[in-house]
Amino acid sequence: MKRWMAWLALLGWLGLPGGPGSALAEEAAPPLKPVTLSFDQKTLKQGAHVFAEVCMGCHSLRYVTWKHLMDYPEIGMTREEVDEMRGDAPLTAPIKTALSEEDAKASYGIVPPDLTLMARAREGGGAYIYSLLLGFEHDPKGKVPDGNYNVYFPGHRIAMADPLGWLDHDADEEADIKAQARAVASFLAFVGEPHQLERKALGKKVLIFLVVLTLLFWLLKREVWKDVH
Amino acid sequence: MLERMLNSRLAQWLDDRTHVVQYIRFHLIDYPTPKNLNYWYAFGSIALVVLIIQVLSGVFLAMDYKPSALPTGNGFSMAFDSIERIMREVNDGWLIRYMHAVGASAFFFVIYLHMARGMYYGSYKKPREFLWIMGVLILVIMQATVFFGYLLPWGQMSFWGATVITNIFGAIPGIGDWLLQLVRGGYGVGDVTLNRFFALHFLFPFLLFAVVFWHVMALHVVHSNNPEGIEPGEKGIIPFHPYYTVKDLFGIGVFLIVYSWFVFFDPTGHGLIIETNNFNPADPLKTPPDITPVWYLTPWYEILRSVPNKLLGIVGMAFAYVCLFLMPWLDRSPVRSARYRPVYRAMLFVFFASIGVLGYCGHHEVTPELLLIGRIASVVYFAFFALLPFVHKFEKTRPVPEEI
Repeated sequence: MKRWMAWLALLGWLGLPGGPGSALAEEAAPPLKPVTLSFDQKTLKQGAHVFAEVCMGCHSLRYVTWKHLMDYPEIGMTREEVDEMRGDAPLTAPIKTALSEEDAKASYGIVPPDLTLMARAREGGGAYIYSLLLGFEHDPKGKVPDGNYNVYFPGHRIAMADPLGWLDHDADEEADIKAQARAVASFLAFVGEPHQLERKALGKKVLIFLVVLTLLFWLLKREVWKDVH
Repeated sequence: MLERMLNSRLAQWLDDRTHVVQYIRFHLIDYPTPKNLNYWYAFGSIALVVLIIQVLSGVFLAMDYKPSALPTGNGFSMAFDSIERIMREVNDGWLIRYMHAVGASAFFFVIYLHMARGMYYGSYKKPREFLWIMGVLILVIMQATVFFGYLLPWGQMSFWGATVITNIFGAIPGIGDWLLQLVRGGYGVGDVTLNRFFALHFLFPFLLFAVVFWHVMALHVVHSNNPEGIEPGEKGIIPFHPYYTVKDLFGIGVFLIVYSWFVFFDPTGHGLIIETNNFNPADPLKTPPDITPVWYLTPWYEILRSVPNKLLGIVGMAFAYVCLFLMPWLDRSPVRSARYRPVYRAMLFVFFASIGVLGYCGHHEVTPELLLIGRIASVVYFAFFALLPFVHKFEKTRPVPEEI
């Protein structure tokens, strides 16, 4: 008697409906566009220029100063190049947009996010940024009448208007826009973690050291244990 | 060379006054150890190495970290900024931070394997009950420590993870609201919470050291079990040094290779070690679509989530720990090692699998299918402990050897 009641209780418990998470089924975004980022000076410098000329209209890099563009050897800009880009901004000041938070809210309804960590804060990283920049389309079903339609943005409605002119581009512009998107995605992926190349370089040395050391430990162990049966 | 050092006049002078040489001889050199311990037995020493890595890296991080939710513009905070300062401006700060973050995951990985080994060879059985209890207590303190620590970067997952987990306290009848406010230091997770979690994250490792010390003290009274699960006898004993010092060194070397690989080549563990969403600063107005703890907490979180009633969920999760503590008394078989216990061995593998499944489910957004799978795994988890007291009645154990 007691046993079948227990089984019944168990079955009832297992069969209870799911939690709140199952209700929201969103339109899935297509897989990100494949892109090979590169951290060479040419690409990173181009990315910095695209950032200063386009992105900086609304976005800042709160953890990156103008001086960093010279100091990070991977970017390696000269003082003249940086001076040309920064205008009146002090060399040691963070790269900051001229758009105030109040004006941004008035124009776009939100404050544009800081981009220093954007490549780290999204699944896909640099590939997400690249895809997003090339993901603007004419609203296919009129779903977002008052905004910009982007295939890769969650919910597809994005406050940012097509920054690189991907919509309605001519065939001969395509390669250039793609190169700009790739450069700025590389630049943002780099400034998201400026010590990443140093990290990997040091890692190789550390691993080689540890493998040799561990091999010696193994030989030592074998020597010490040879008499134990 | 070691002998020369221990016989030096300075060592003798110290020994006459504090017995330090005698302690070293007793606990680190002559300490009797079964000769058949395999590499699974290295995880204890490895765990101690990880604990030391965590304490050292943690102290250096604390020198540059600022536990303040004070807004610094565009959604950022002083705490978040200070971590990015460590990552960018502090010399080798990125290395210390990654060592600490990867170290947290490594610590749990090592401890889970260490516990699995203890369960497999029956190391929790008499006379090692207290040793086992201290071990489970270490796990509980570690989980509390890591929970406090995960709030400190003040990212989205920090904030919402802490909000969800502290909410658990609020479901306790009667004292829930009072307890919730006590833990958070206010109605919601905020600056006060961040300050006290930082204080507690610094305090708890001291508790951890104390319990680890007791764990090792208990070990050195009852001594190591071994894969055969029998008393080693005179001939089965070898001194700890040099045999296990060198064997553990090799184990530590292998561990450090794997650990360093993550530190240098995959420090976020593809979102498993540092979650992607935690690179977004905490935003109390924007709830992330799925809030799950980091992988090492997910099996217990999933047990909590499997129960439809919140309070019963808490009871279930607490009971999952109670079962672990009671393990030495639930299992009544006279044979220790799973090598000679076919039924227990099979049960154990199912049990390990249930923890893996719970961990997987707890790490993903709830769907009806995952909920059902999580519930089945929860039942399997508890069924293991429920069956344990009866296994010895029908289990035909294989003959245990006379000596190792």
